[in-house]
Amino acid sequence: MFNNPKKKSPLPAKSLKEMPHYKAGITYKEWHKPKPETNKWRNIRWSVLIAVNGLFVVSYLFGLSILEGSLSGSRALGFYLIDTYNALQVIIISLFDGHFAALTINFWIGFSTILILSIFGGRTYCSWVCPYHLLAEFAEKLHNYFVKKKKIKEHTYSIYLRFVFWIGFLFVALFTKNIVFEDINPVGIISRSLIYGPSLLLLWIGALLLFEIAYSKRFWCRYACPVGATWAITGKMAMLDVKFDLDKCGYCRDCQEVCLVPHTLWFVEKGKATQEVHFTDSDCTRCGLCIDICSGNALNFTIKGMDKI
Amino acid sequence: MKETKESSRRKFIKSAGIALAGLTLLGGGIGYYKSVDGPKFTRKPNFLRPPGAIDEETFVYACIKCGLCVQICPVEAIKLADINKGLNYGTPYIDVREQACDFSCDSLQCVETCPTAVLNFKPFEIAGGNAIEKYNKEHKATNPGFNPFSVQIVAMKSRVRMGKATINKETCLAYHNKGFNGRPRGKDFKGIYRSPDSQTGKPSPLSEKVFDRKICNLCVTECPIGDNAIVMLASGKEAKLRPQVLDGCTGCGVCVMVCPTQQASIIVEPIEEDSHV
Repeated sequence: MFNNPKKKSPLPAKSLKEMPHYKAGITYKEWHKPKPETNKWRNIRWSVLIAVNGLFVVSYLFGLSILEGSLSGSRALGFYLIDTYNALQVIIISLFDGHFAALTINFWIGFSTILILSIFGGRTYCSWVCPYHLLAEFAEKLHNYFVKKKKIKEHTYSIYLRFVFWIGFLFVALFTKNIVFEDINPVGIISRSLIYGPSLLLLWIGALLLFEIAYSKRFWCRYACPVGATWAITGKMAMLDVKFDLDKCGYCRDCQEVCLVPHTLWFVEKGKATQEVHFTDSDCTRCGLCIDICSGNALNFTIKGMDKI
Repeated sequence: MKETKESSRRKFIKSAGIALAGLTLLGGGIGYYKSVDGPKFTRKPNFLRPPGAIDEETFVYACIKCGLCVQICPVEAIKLADINKGLNYGTPYIDVREQACDFSCDSLQCVETCPTAVLNFKPFEIAGGNAIEKYNKEHKATNPGFNPFSVQIVAMKSRVRMGKATINKETCLAYHNKGFNGRPRGKDFKGIYRSPDSQTGKPSPLSEKVFDRKICNLCVTECPIGDNAIVMLASGKEAKLRPQVLDGCTGCGVCVMVCPTQQASIIVEPIEEDSHV
């Protein structure tokens, strides 16, 4: 964070002799030939996502004290957890409303637990837990298909738009003395609909997905969602990361193609890398799609600093 | 199309402007709607906040809509409001005509489980503690067989003030000297509760119970609080027995649920409990 690799001058692009296929003594085509589809990390991730959300539903259905509540606030084996952005809104209203002292110990425990987790893992929650993510992933596939068929055009916005919403919703909460964001938050709406029965607000989720399919790819997650933006901020120094070895990279850019937040993989382009080793930034959702697809195994999950121990 | 720094900045400012306008509209709209419509709705009879709810204005933002109170309620009295309920989306409420809070959890679990204490356990904790202290003082020799929980439970549930029941004298059967015979809400009614005369101590469906009363007094006999909350009192010239709501009423709404008339002849008017801050 303090030593921004993006600002350094790039290393010269690798010569042919330095390319991984040359070193292995095979042609580039052979090196880059489509791998048998493993989808290892995707399958693990989808299972985790479905399991976590399923656990909420099962806990309620059968009255088990495993994972009670919903994604906006829950109790895992008796231990409270609270969504960071939701908690931030409560804190900010309480501060100005003079009720700050009334916030409970359980509230602070829940808030700080998720906060600490996000400092360690950044936006991992987004692709591993968030139920809207799974729907949006399918919407993204559909969107890509339509773009490829030239039925629709792509519309992109600035990724900094998130922070406008992030601050904006905090202000809205403050002025209305109401957590207005929760009324349109897809994470909470889907989670509550799964657990406590469908809400009319699912219509809004449907509209959002349609918009993402027909107009702008992954609009909500990329440009709007303050929940994910919170963890993009707190996860600046995240230890859990995707590590990139320039040495093993063949400049094919397959990873950027599948990446859900392609701007975090800026260093895979030829002549862009500034270091031999790069880590994805805090916008990375650690979904593992790039790891699955990489021909040279140049990308891997890592916990920064573990090798030093 | 390669974007220059300048054009991407302009694009950001444009979309940020649209976003801000959208936020203002949304925030203003929802804020206005809620300030005008929300509190009015919660003051509708028979729609109550769960026990221990703090003042409505603080409640709507401090409640994080997790639903832990919904999960823990053994009779499933608590529901989360959808947007068409006029309440704040995702906040808990009890519709007592459909399913009243019958205190069969015995410990106000919904209040205890609330992570943000918008259902505030403090007053109940104090009431329970005081009751045990008082018992110990009155019964000087500590009885080894004494179970403090029973005293505590009674004190805690008596402290609840979700609302207060009022009787509609126009339609109340007792006020017309009528009795009641049969199932008060029909065979298909889903509500359950723990009747004071229950043998098992567990809640059972209201639809399974058949009553036969010369003068209808279901609201009195089925009340989980008892003599402090509602009694049959002789009143009027002929000194007929009629139900009277007393100050001990907690607003739990069991009387509303069991009332056999088409429209309940007893309703619970919500009262906002004291704020804990």
